[in-house]
Amino acid sequence: MSDAREAMLGRIRQGLARNREFLAHEALAAPHAPPPFVHPEHDADLADLFATELRKLAAHAHLCADHDAARATLRDILGAAGVHLALTWALPALAFPGLDDDLAAIGVERRDVAIAPTAAERAAELRALEPAAACISGVDALIAESATIVVLGGAGRPRLASLLAPLYIAIARRDQVVRGLGQAIAQLQQRAAPDLFAERSSLTFITGPSRTADIEMTLALGVHGPRDVHVIIYG
Amino acid sequence: MATQSIAFHDRVDRALDNRSLQTALGRATDRFVTNRANALALVDDFDDLRARGRAIRASALAQLDDVLVRLSERIEARGGQVFWAADGNAARRYIVDLARTRAVRTIVKSKSMASEEIHLNDALEAAAFTVVETDLGEYIIQLAGETPSHIIAPCIHKTREEISTLFQDHLGMPATDDIPTMTRTARGALRQQFLQADMGISGVNFGVADAGAVVVVENEGNARLTTTAPRIHVAVMGIERVCERLEDLGVLLQLLARSATGQKLSVYTSILSGPRRADEPDGPDEFHLILLDNGRSQIIGGDYAEALLCIRCGACLNACPVYQSIGGHAYGGVYSGPIGAILTPLLQPELRDVHKLPQASSLCGACQSACPVKIAIPDMLLRLRADAVAAGRTDAIERIAMAGWSQAMRSPTLYRVGGKLASLGTRLLAREGRIGWLPPPLDQWTHQRDFPPFAPRSFTELWAERQRRAAGDGR
Repeated sequence: MSDAREAMLGRIRQGLARNREFLAHEALAAPHAPPPFVHPEHDADLADLFATELRKLAAHAHLCADHDAARATLRDILGAAGVHLALTWALPALAFPGLDDDLAAIGVERRDVAIAPTAAERAAELRALEPAAACISGVDALIAESATIVVLGGAGRPRLASLLAPLYIAIARRDQVVRGLGQAIAQLQQRAAPDLFAERSSLTFITGPSRTADIEMTLALGVHGPRDVHVIIYG
Repeated sequence: MATQSIAFHDRVDRALDNRSLQTALGRATDRFVTNRANALALVDDFDDLRARGRAIRASALAQLDDVLVRLSERIEARGGQVFWAADGNAARRYIVDLARTRAVRTIVKSKSMASEEIHLNDALEAAAFTVVETDLGEYIIQLAGETPSHIIAPCIHKTREEISTLFQDHLGMPATDDIPTMTRTARGALRQQFLQADMGISGVNFGVADAGAVVVVENEGNARLTTTAPRIHVAVMGIERVCERLEDLGVLLQLLARSATGQKLSVYTSILSGPRRADEPDGPDEFHLILLDNGRSQIIGGDYAEALLCIRCGACLNACPVYQSIGGHAYGGVYSGPIGAILTPLLQPELRDVHKLPQASSLCGACQSACPVKIAIPDMLLRLRADAVAAGRTDAIERIAMAGWSQAMRSPTLYRVGGKLASLGTRLLAREGRIGWLPPPLDQWTHQRDFPPFAPRSFTELWAERQRRAAGDGR
C-alpha cells in the first residue's frame, strides 16, 4: 500500500518537474485570501439582512427581541406543525434555558441522539429517530449575505439534529450573525485554534431548505433534508 | 445502453433527432445561464474572485505531491484511512474488499463523478452488493439503467412522464405527473435505504489538506445522509481536487455555487474530517478516503495540466452552443461539454472516438468566459485537434479537403476562382440565408448543422472597390 503511495507521488513529481513552473506562476497571479464578504456592503442590520435573504429561499426568519420572545416563537412553530417528537442538540450544547419545560408544556417529546457503532443497533436507533417531525439545533454562526446556518459537530451536537426531520429550527443569538463566508471561516478557525477538527468530525453550512430541480428543472423542496427551515434570532 | 460503442457522429445524430431532449436541454441550459448571470451581477467583483480561485487551485496543483501527503497524514491522524489508488481497478478492488470484510449488504451513494469514471457501481453489483444512488436525478438514471447527461442535472434529458412511468413500475407509485408527489415518493423509498445501509459512498468537491478534511457540496441532503447514517463512509476523490487551507473555501465555495446553479451557496456544504470522535453522538465509525489517480498524474506533466484546475461546476456546459444542442450523452464519457471534450480523451482514452470530441466546439469562447477558474478551454481544444492530426487520426475526406485548402491558400488565382465558385454554388443552394443540404461528401457537415452561404462579393473585391472610390473622392 505504501508502494502505491510512493509510486503515485513519484509520478506526480515527475509530471510537476515539467509543469511546476507554469502552475507556480499561476498561483502567484492573484492573492489567495478570501474576501470577508462578496456583495457590496450596505447599512442594513446584519440580522435583518440574514432574514431577508433567508425568506428569498422559502425559509422562515424570526427576529425576537429577547429570550422569552424566542421561547414563545419556538412553541408556536412546534404547535402549529403538530410536532410530537423532536431531535435536538443536548441541552448544555443548545444553551437555551427553558427548552425542556416548554416542550413538555406543549406535549413534545425531546430526544437526544446516540447512535451505537454496531450495525444492528445503529439501524434500530435510526428507525426510532426517523418518525421525529422536527429537529432543533443551535448555531455557530449565521452568514447574512447568503442566509447560511453554520453548525459545528462535536459532543452533544448530532448531525441528524439539523437533517433528519421535515421541520428544522435553528436557534441563534443576534451577535452570532456575520456578513460573509470569509468572515465566518476566519472566526471559526480563530475560536477553535489551532485545530478546528481536533474534537469534531464535521462542519456544516446549511443554506435554506433541502431542494432539487432534477425533474424538468422544476423546484421541489424537502427532497431528503428538511423542507421547512426556521431560524429564530434573539437578543 | 452502451453509448460508448456507438460512433460519435451517430450519437450526435440521435441527440439532434430527439425532440424532448432538445426541449429539455434548451430549458435547462437557459435557466442555468440566467440564474448564474443574476447571481454574478450581485457580487462586488466576481472577476477578482475568479482570479483568486484560479490562483488557489494552481497553487495546490503546483505542490500536489506535498498537499496530498499533508491531507493523508492529517486524515490518518484523525483515525481515517487513506488508500492511494493508481487506477480504477485498484480503487474498485479496495472498496469491494472493504465491503466484504465489513459484512456490508446495502450501500448508499451520493453523486460522484469519480466513481462514475471508474464504473464503481458495476463492480459492487457484480460482487452482489445492493448499490443505491440517492441524488434524485442519479436515482432516476439508475432506475432507467442509463448514465447522467449533465454534471449538475443528471437527468435533464428525461421528461416527467418518463419519470412517472419509472416510479410506477419500480416503486408502485399511483399514476401521476405531479412533481412534488414524485419527489415525496422517491424520498420515502430512499429513506428506507438510508436507515439500513452499512456503507455510504460519496464523491469529494474539495480535499482540504491542512484541515485534514473533505468537502461535499449538494442541495438535497442525500450526501449528508450518506455520510452520516451508515457506519462506514468511503469518499472517492480525484487527486487533483484539493486546496491547501480551510480559508480557500471562502473563495472556492462562492465560485462553485454561483457558477453551477446561481445560488449564493449550495444548500448543504459538509466539511468532514475522519470518522466520528468518541463523544460525538452520530456520524460514521469508519472513514476511508480513496485518492484516485487514474491518469491524472500523467495529465499534470502534459500539455493539458490546466484542465486539472476544473472545479466541476458545469458552467461551460450550459454556456456551450454545441452542448446546448447535443446534450451530455453524445460525448460518450463521464465528463461532457467543453471541459469534457478535454478531460474525456485524457481520462477515458479507451472510449470510441474520443479524439473527435475536441471537434465538437465552435471555438466561440463562451466556455472560457463562464469558467470560474478561467481555464483556456478553446486553446486546449485547438491543440487537441492538432494532436489528432499529428497522430494521423483524421478522415480521408478531411485530409483531401485540407490538402485542397492548402493548395488554394498558396495560389491567389486558385483562391479567387475557388471563392467565386463556392460563392455561386452556395447561393444557389441557400434557402432563407441558410444551407441545409450540400452534395456528398460535403453533406457530412450539413447533415447535423446549417452552412452559411458565401458572401456575394469577396473581401478582395470590396476592398478594391473601396480603394477605387477613395481614389475617386480624392481627386
